[in-house]
Amino acid sequence: MIEVNHLTKKFGVITAVDDISFYIPAGEIVGFLGPNGAGKTTTLRMLVGYLQPSFGTIRISEQDINTDPIGLARQIGYLPEQNPLYADLTVYDYLQFIAALRHMDEQTFRERLEFVLDKCGLRDVIGQPIQTLSKGYKQRTGLAQAILHDPQVLILDEPTSGLDPNQILEIRELIKELGKAKTVILSSHIMQEVQAVCDRIIIINKGKIIADEAKEELGKNLSGSVSLTIELEAENPDFSEWLELHPEVKLKECVPNEGHWKREFSYPAELDLQRDLAQFIASQKWLILSMYKQQHSLEEIFHLLTTESDMNELDKSETKEADNSPTALQIEEANEKEEDDNA
Amino acid sequence: MHNAFIIARKELKSYLNSVSTYIVFVLFLMLSGWFFSNLMFKSGKAELRQLFDVLHLVYIFFIPALTMGMIAKEKADQTFELLATMPIKLKSIVWGKWLAALELLVIILMFTLVHLLTIMIIGENLDYGSILCGYLGLIFVGAVYCAIGIFASALQSNQILAFIIGFVICLFFYAIQFLMPLFPNALANVFQYLSMDYHLENFLKGIIDTRDIIYMGSLVIGFMLLAEFSLRMNNRLQER
Repeated sequence: MIEVNHLTKKFGVITAVDDISFYIPAGEIVGFLGPNGAGKTTTLRMLVGYLQPSFGTIRISEQDINTDPIGLARQIGYLPEQNPLYADLTVYDYLQFIAALRHMDEQTFRERLEFVLDKCGLRDVIGQPIQTLSKGYKQRTGLAQAILHDPQVLILDEPTSGLDPNQILEIRELIKELGKAKTVILSSHIMQEVQAVCDRIIIINKGKIIADEAKEELGKNLSGSVSLTIELEAENPDFSEWLELHPEVKLKECVPNEGHWKREFSYPAELDLQRDLAQFIASQKWLILSMYKQQHSLEEIFHLLTTESDMNELDKSETKEADNSPTALQIEEANEKEEDDNA
Repeated sequence: MHNAFIIARKELKSYLNSVSTYIVFVLFLMLSGWFFSNLMFKSGKAELRQLFDVLHLVYIFFIPALTMGMIAKEKADQTFELLATMPIKLKSIVWGKWLAALELLVIILMFTLVHLLTIMIIGENLDYGSILCGYLGLIFVGAVYCAIGIFASALQSNQILAFIIGFVICLFFYAIQFLMPLFPNALANVFQYLSMDYHLENFLKGIIDTRDIIYMGSLVIGFMLLAEFSLRMNNRLQER
């Protein structure tokens, strides 16, 4: 359905999207996940033809997007990141304007209007000027615009931003429902969102795809490692003896706190070392205050992947410590790039 | 073409719903009315020549003000992204905007018919042919200034800057007539041909000359192409 090959976009010296390729079959809901400035919006804008790629090709429905851009635009529903609304129009006028631009006849417009009013919960505000609406209603109006013409491909750039938790749930349900028959691409920087909605997750950072897997796969990839945190009361506990017996265990953290010691170990999930470790601590006559085991959540995978920023590092990062949070410089770079994207 | 009409209709609706349009309208009519009554009673002639000259002067403020937001505002509000990804050509967007501006201009010109009424009541032997011709000329000139305004608006997302750019370009075409004595004889002809006033003058005399229509038509098309080009370049848009 959507085939992207070696897509690259440069803004001057900045490479916003760097040689990405992926294929999305019909009927799949794909989440584009990445920190701000990762190149999500730029990629989506190239898919809808709002930006020309520097290199690479995009094919939608077995057709290069430049052969028949007008015909293709009819098949695509697009909700940009900055919700494009005419503040002075009413919701009805706005949707009617969109329908006219899409050459919908009166009959189809009526039918589809009923559908989007129900699905997006806009019935109460249909006669109101858009500028008087709350952010949530504005977002829903934008979504209504994108799905009004029953598109085969739906491209949503951060569709749930600005919505309250209930609305987010509703919109997610709606996207899931639409995704049964259509191809949906949505971008987000919120992990739970893509986790809840998408079949497949493409994680993108600094313009590169760093993971492209089905949701379950992505979870498995790193759920291979668990972290065990213990808190104990002892004087200068030394685990080196125990660590020598178990070379696969890594000591991640070591925080002394007024006679309390907090240690975090990370080891492959198939090993069960809790008992062993407890026995070792007992033999040393230390006192365990707490002990808990954690599997890596998708959130952590995201954090790991986007801070490592390299697929090759993935294997190492499974066992390696995950202390490299984004530096101030990286964040600054990302913000700059985001601004550049918007310009 | 159909798409341009859809854009124009929506644009016109938005403009007619907005207070600022009416403020601009009122200013336009106050200025033209004040000049008209002043000049008419001084000259004592039952004709609209002076009014038309005044309207031409008011145009170079009024039209850039009318068109400044047409594309610049779409860009600032990010709604341009919506239009650009609709199944319509970029051409339809800019021509739709131009059409809307021209329609607004015609609406406001209709209000100046009240001055014609005054002349009809107090004057005798009116040359209706030349008056009609004069209005036609004003619409043609307005069409050129609208295209300039749309081009200025397409250059950027700041409305005030769009106004200033549009104003300066319109002023150039308007003010050439006063600069004529400064040019050497060899160039005078060229600059005379560029002067908007020179071409409007023919209309005001009641002459419809294809040369004037070609001059104005090519300016309209030229600036509209420039507007489209600048939009495509600034946004690196897909060719459609």
